[in-house]
Amino acid sequence: MSPAVIPPLAPDAPVILEMSHISKGFGAVTALVDVSIKLRQGEVLALVGDNGAGKSTLIKILSGYHQPDTGTIVSKGKQVHFNSPRDARAIGIETVYQDLALIGDLSIYHNMFMGREYHKRVLGLKLLDNKKMRDLAEVHLKTLGISIPSVNSTVDLLSGGQRQCVAVARSIYASPTILILDEPLAALGVRESAHVLGLIQSLRQQRNVSIILIVHNYNQIFEVCDRINFLHSGEIVLDAATSETSEEELIRIVKSGLGRNAVAAESAETEPGQA
Amino acid sequence: MVLATKPHPPATIGATTRRVGVKTPDSIYEKVLVILSRYREASIAVVAIILVIYFQFGSNGEFLTSQFLSVVLRDTGRLGLIAVAEVMLMITGEIDLSVSSTFSLAPYIMVLLSIDLGVPLAIGALIGVVLGVLVGVLNGIITVRFRVPSLITTVGTLFLLQGIVVWIDDSQPIVAPVEEPFNAIFGQSLYGPSDSLFSWHAITAFTPFLWTVLAVAALALVLSRTTFGLHTIATGSNIVGAREIGVRTDRIKVYNFMIAGGFAAFAGIINTAQFSSADPQAGSPFLTLQAIAAAVIGGTSLLGGSGTAIGSLIGAFVVATLNNGLVMVGAQATVSDIYLGIAILLAMILNVQVNRLRARRRI
Ligand SMILES: Nc1ncnc2c1ncn2[C@@H]1O[C@H](COP(=O)(O)OP(=O)(O)O)[C@@H](O)[C@H]1O
Ligand SMILES: [Mg+2]
Repeated sequence: MSPAVIPPLAPDAPVILEMSHISKGFGAVTALVDVSIKLRQGEVLALVGDNGAGKSTLIKILSGYHQPDTGTIVSKGKQVHFNSPRDARAIGIETVYQDLALIGDLSIYHNMFMGREYHKRVLGLKLLDNKKMRDLAEVHLKTLGISIPSVNSTVDLLSGGQRQCVAVARSIYASPTILILDEPLAALGVRESAHVLGLIQSLRQQRNVSIILIVHNYNQIFEVCDRINFLHSGEIVLDAATSETSEEELIRIVKSGLGRNAVAAESAETEPGQA
Repeated sequence: MVLATKPHPPATIGATTRRVGVKTPDSIYEKVLVILSRYREASIAVVAIILVIYFQFGSNGEFLTSQFLSVVLRDTGRLGLIAVAEVMLMITGEIDLSVSSTFSLAPYIMVLLSIDLGVPLAIGALIGVVLGVLVGVLNGIITVRFRVPSLITTVGTLFLLQGIVVWIDDSQPIVAPVEEPFNAIFGQSLYGPSDSLFSWHAITAFTPFLWTVLAVAALALVLSRTTFGLHTIATGSNIVGAREIGVRTDRIKVYNFMIAGGFAAFAGIINTAQFSSADPQAGSPFLTLQAIAAAVIGGTSLLGGSGTAIGSLIGAFVVATLNNGLVMVGAQATVSDIYLGIAILLAMILNVQVNRLRARRRI
């Protein structure tokens, strides 16, 4: 799993998504200020920042859950408007939310197919094809190497880690073009984290899906991500390829609470004084 | 470094030594709770059977006569129709307290249309049901758009509609016209002692109950076998998560308010067909509360996310049996309320205990 096995993203990989000048407030709270991000084909983009920086709000705008106050989203060259998560899912944007968006009272397989249920006609009635969904869910989870007791059991019987795995499995079921993962490793143990990271790594290797990944652990970021966008108080303060930055620089920026240029300027200013 | 470049991490995840859902209950108390929660409808059916046996002996065999059963089943039908509609709403986490006023309004309009304008009862009934559905739209829109809790919204529409129906004709009950086959289909009068069991009259005496069975079966199917049912459960179980994954939770709620309104209107129309009378006060809020009690006793949680249509019908039967049976064995009519109250409290305690148990066994 060393990063060396995956070649860097081709420099000419096309931009498949652009969010430009996105702002969003909740009443008196300003969550995002003029945020712009670019995502290229096959890229794994890390979105980092403190709690409350606006990461979840940004990805919820992309997933169609929130509507931005200002700003535009351009997907594959066309401007898009998402009135609901259905719209985003319809064009291949899948999301694992921080709260996982699983329905505790429903079975694992119903959760897997929530919003894209299979039907069959019985006496002219459009009924759920539960058998088909059950079988497909079972195969899908097995393929991913996710072990759960039974796809029939309700989600509220699962452990936190198992739930997270089910949510991740659901998000990649329909082969999305853009995959958003909001802290997908939060409830996972070491082994499970490694597994999900391995999954991301293999998706990255194929370069078919572009991923926006929110994680806090810098090791994990440098292991699987091509690019880092740093969000601070609702603004992007750093946008750099992982190969061009380092943990040290990130930590410096976190501490200063300012952008890369500001940090560089600041240290240029202080140096003569120290000398 | 060969190991480090191994492309695939451990083969499976989530496989802990303790498998989820297979954990055995610790105490007898927990075992009983697990059984009760797993066989919700069955356990309330057992209660119903015990009650029937008790009243059958207590009344020297008069409970299980077609004469008396037709009364119990009539009440079960009326209550069950409203209870099952409340089940759908309660699963979404909402409630409708205005159903009793719709129960009075719809048949009143039907009868007025018939008497004043000569509109056939069947057409009037259709208009009445549409009216009930529109009341549901009103309740739903106020609840989801203006974010008024449905408990308050529907108390408002309860008084509003009750006021309107009483005001229309100065709270006068009207004798409803009888039209065949409308009255035969929707039930005209009760089984008389002189009726043969296979007479036309005997069969029509049970039609209101049969309509309810049909409606309950339909909603049970909707709940467990359709996308709408799935999304109804999702809405009540985790509304934020349901929205995140693309469930139109507002619409789902409005549709379920519409079902409740339509069913309440239908129940009122059947009631009027049975008694050939349209009373502006036919539905009292007490009827609504009894229907909610039936739903709760039948295993539907007031907290949203789970409920059973069939359970609510059995719950309605238990309530109707208590109401009529106690009177028959010589208790005062009001005593049945004591039993009903205890039954509701026990059912709610059970619901909450089962939920807590599930939460505890989760991790
Ligand atoms: N639905 C909401 N209503 C009001 N405020 C919100 C809502 N969602 C997020 N916020 C606020 O927006 C800011 C950014 O939150 P969030 O995007 O969740 O941050 P992060 O995911 O980076 O921790 C916080 O101040 C948070 O309190
Ligand atoms: Mg967040």
